[in-house]
Amino acid sequence: MKKNWKRLTAITMAGIMACTAAGCGSGSSGESQSTGAAGGTQAQTTAAGGAETTQAAAGAPSSGSGENVTIKITWWGGQGRHDYTQKLLDAYTELHPNVTFEAMPAGWDGYFEKLSTQAASGSMPDIVQMDYLYITTYAKNGSLADLQPYMDNGTIDVSNVDPNLLNTGKIDGKMVGAVLSTSALVTGYNPSVLAEANYAEPGTDWTWDDFKTMCQTVKDKTGKLGTAVGPVDDTNIFHYWVREHGESLFSEDKKSLGYKDDAICADYFDMWKELMDGGMAANPDEYAQIQTLGQEAGPVVTGDAASIFEWNNYTSKVAAVNDTLKMTTPPMLEGGSKGLWLKPGMFFSVAETSKVKDEAAAFIDWFINSEEANDIIMAERGTPVSSKIREYLVGTGTMSAQQQDMFDYVDAAAELSGSTPAPDPVGMSEVNEAFKNAAYSVFYGQATSAEAAAAFRAEADAILARNN
Amino acid sequence: MGMHAKRNLNSVIFHVGACLLGLLMIYPLVWLLASSFKSNATMFHNTYSLIPEEWDIATNFKSGFEGIGGVKFITFFINSTIVTIVGMVGCVGTSLLAAYAFSRLDFKFSNFWFGCVMMTMMIPAQVMVVPQYIILKKVGLIDTRAALVLPWFFGGAFFIFLMVQFFRGIPKELDEAAAIDGCNKFQILFKILVPIVRPSIITSSIFAFYWIWQDFFQPLIFMNSTRKFTIPLALNMYLDPNSYNNYGGLFAMSVISVLPIIIFFIIFQRYLVDGIAMDGIKG
Amino acid sequence: MKLYKDNKVAYVLLAPWLIGFFGMWLIPMFISIYYSFTDFNLLNTPSFIGLANYMRAFTQDKMFYQAMKVTFSYVLILVPLRLAFALFVAMLLNKKHKCLGLYRTLYYVPSIIGGSIAVSVVWKQIFGNKGVVMSILEVFGIHQKMSLVGNPKTALWVIVLMGVWQFGSSMLIFLSALKQIPGSLYESAKVDGANGWVTFSRITIPMLTPTIFFNLILQIINGFRVFTESYVITDGGPLDSTLSYVLYLYRRAFNYFDMGYSCALAWILVAVIAVFTVVLFKTQNNWVYYETGGDE
Repeated sequence: MKKNWKRLTAITMAGIMACTAAGCGSGSSGESQSTGAAGGTQAQTTAAGGAETTQAAAGAPSSGSGENVTIKITWWGGQGRHDYTQKLLDAYTELHPNVTFEAMPAGWDGYFEKLSTQAASGSMPDIVQMDYLYITTYAKNGSLADLQPYMDNGTIDVSNVDPNLLNTGKIDGKMVGAVLSTSALVTGYNPSVLAEANYAEPGTDWTWDDFKTMCQTVKDKTGKLGTAVGPVDDTNIFHYWVREHGESLFSEDKKSLGYKDDAICADYFDMWKELMDGGMAANPDEYAQIQTLGQEAGPVVTGDAASIFEWNNYTSKVAAVNDTLKMTTPPMLEGGSKGLWLKPGMFFSVAETSKVKDEAAAFIDWFINSEEANDIIMAERGTPVSSKIREYLVGTGTMSAQQQDMFDYVDAAAELSGSTPAPDPVGMSEVNEAFKNAAYSVFYGQATSAEAAAAFRAEADAILARNN
Repeated sequence: MGMHAKRNLNSVIFHVGACLLGLLMIYPLVWLLASSFKSNATMFHNTYSLIPEEWDIATNFKSGFEGIGGVKFITFFINSTIVTIVGMVGCVGTSLLAAYAFSRLDFKFSNFWFGCVMMTMMIPAQVMVVPQYIILKKVGLIDTRAALVLPWFFGGAFFIFLMVQFFRGIPKELDEAAAIDGCNKFQILFKILVPIVRPSIITSSIFAFYWIWQDFFQPLIFMNSTRKFTIPLALNMYLDPNSYNNYGGLFAMSVISVLPIIIFFIIFQRYLVDGIAMDGIKG
Repeated sequence: MKLYKDNKVAYVLLAPWLIGFFGMWLIPMFISIYYSFTDFNLLNTPSFIGLANYMRAFTQDKMFYQAMKVTFSYVLILVPLRLAFALFVAMLLNKKHKCLGLYRTLYYVPSIIGGSIAVSVVWKQIFGNKGVVMSILEVFGIHQKMSLVGNPKTALWVIVLMGVWQFGSSMLIFLSALKQIPGSLYESAKVDGANGWVTFSRITIPMLTPTIFFNLILQIINGFRVFTESYVITDGGPLDSTLSYVLYLYRRAFNYFDMGYSCALAWILVAVIAVFTVVLFKTQNNWVYYETGGDE
């Protein structure tokens, strides 16, 4: 019996070894294309029906000369995005009959869980739709291919993309993501609510004091919410606030917070606490309710609140329900610096383990630059990064008024933008969570703003130090 | 007379109470149904109201049945049906065999293995999914329908434990008497015991049906091709919190997806009736 | 020396489960134990760091204690409530009435639609600041500044209530157990002139003990692993007051890329659940009645 046990353990252990070995397939950061450990992966690619290619590294891609290849591509989205993206892939295959796609569309829920599981077993899809929140983590672990060579040799044409924006995909000197769309922080507002409160619509030069006055006026005159936003859901609005103070949210080495004075953070908490206590802004309780209903039924859309902080696709996103909403730049800080920046919307990244990098790059170029592709996409993934495509789309006259606003905003924001911040550090989602908790402890009256600001610093520094 | 009136009163109280409780239970389902009739624009205007401001049944169901990326919803429905039925039969069957062994048979390590059964119930699935993925990939089962069914086919701890408990409520003399009559172990199981534990088999089937039907997390990770998706995976693809959403279509398809579970339950709960217990046999 | 007379048959019967156990459970279990001793972040090559993850949970992680606290409270409140309620309703439905099938179906519905979007929307609405529950409290003169689901002091109760609301599956198990109690027992009790209470306490309850035991174990195990409710309704908030243990380890694993640590958390949880389960199994000789006689 004892012997049996030993054998059993031996078998099991062997199994584990084999599996963990496969598990490291994607690892070994920094090592170039070879990825020796990915033995399991190579065999697996044949599942694509033997369509795998051994493209010579130099070869002129997308020339149509090529052997048949299958590109695995994954993205998240809703019903509409899945439908048109499938059409997009079909259109590309028509143009390049040697390229077929194995599409893996997914909902937002579970997308990154699945992606990291695939990465853990060395089987990441070739092209991956990537979010700013996670790109650094993947890059630091060497899971993403460097696209710089493809941008240099013109496979991916980036001549019409704002260089600052483009560089958001550059991490540790490697271009790990081709940015597809851009977004910028806006204040969206409902003009009829402001009219009801007899308050003039804000211009681009308004300040936080104006913002507070607006909220107060709306509250007093109409009893409605001045603003219905989750100011601490993530650190985006706070980041803007910090930049207006002439500081940056993270230090250069990304091992700690960048701003030195906790008062910046405490002031931010205090401002919102005051607005919430006065019934001018949605408190966490009310905000949780608002979130339940989804964008389309938000109080700004339904005329129950005056304003919201959002991204510049806000009005076009909810146009089907209410097409009277407007956007302006978020409030300025009196005597402060330019806080805005063009934030990358989403990226296409290519897996380091991919064996069809050339073809993947060619497709990404087509996605970003071709009019044909963008006729299908119709800016659904956010404001296109290529200024030429923006012009083209406006020229076709197929854009809604809200979509044009969204495009115009990018140009307006550019003027009010400071330097583009470095890509987010690893551990961003944990920092966001710590920020939310610190802020809520103020909003719920469990801590003073000074205590909370200090607590946030302690937490954030620990997280950043551990991850970066 | 007085007795009769009292019984009537009791019965009225029972039914009023039962109906009130029933309303509380079913409200979200009714809400879901009502929402599937509402137009997207007015969906959340008055969330409480069960009566749509603007009716939009046709659009919702039509857009829902359109499916995802060119794959019609009916495909997901068929996938779910096949996976669920095969999985359920496999799961209940293998669990029954294992439960019989654990509760009635005398074998080496039985306690050890039973401990393992219990153990599998305790581990959070969230940390098992990566290793399981690696194994499925090794054996080439990622993105196959087998990956959806296999985990169920090997029996489930819950069902084994449930049936063990039921088996242990049956006197062993029954088995012994049957053995004397010349029945082997399999005959004892299928001819004597199965009829007695039928309620628990039906209960298990009801649970298995529902669990497999709504199984989400692992299939989500293991499956890639849309055309092989089951309903829960498909429904997840209707939504994206960052863009415009077709809630109407989603709710309409949610209604469709709940129906089979309810129908299955209504049909099978009828067999949960008295009269099949051990009366006749025990004597 | 013990005789294992049924070895062969037993292993044939167990074979399907054993295959599944080795393939889908045992090896993954060992892998995840191995991960728990490493700094695995899903994307790197795991390197061994000894007990550091376990030390970190006990000595450095406030959230670990918060999640433990929430989960223990949840289990201790929910399990008795749900079981009592399920048993009560099962008893009622075991009588001869009209429309029983309808009631069973109605009561089972919440268990079917579990954590769907519809439930999350409706549930948050009902307990929200403009919801029915608040209005009812107002009628009784209880004014709350915050809604029940938005108040860190009460949010967990909303989650617990949702657990009780989904009593259908426990009810069903009780119901099928009640169906299996031989009618002859009740008849002979009637002949002996036993009243309702005596029949209940001397026949029904003892005959149900294996099922009560089952439900108890099951609810404790599932209670400790609660995830969907707090994920869907409150996402752990407000102020982590509903942060369940598994929700926390899930975030660690997939949102924070901390798989090694998450595996350590998982195995700590398994240890806690195992202690409860083993203790309960040890006590069953004292109160659980098996026709087959007590276990060895």
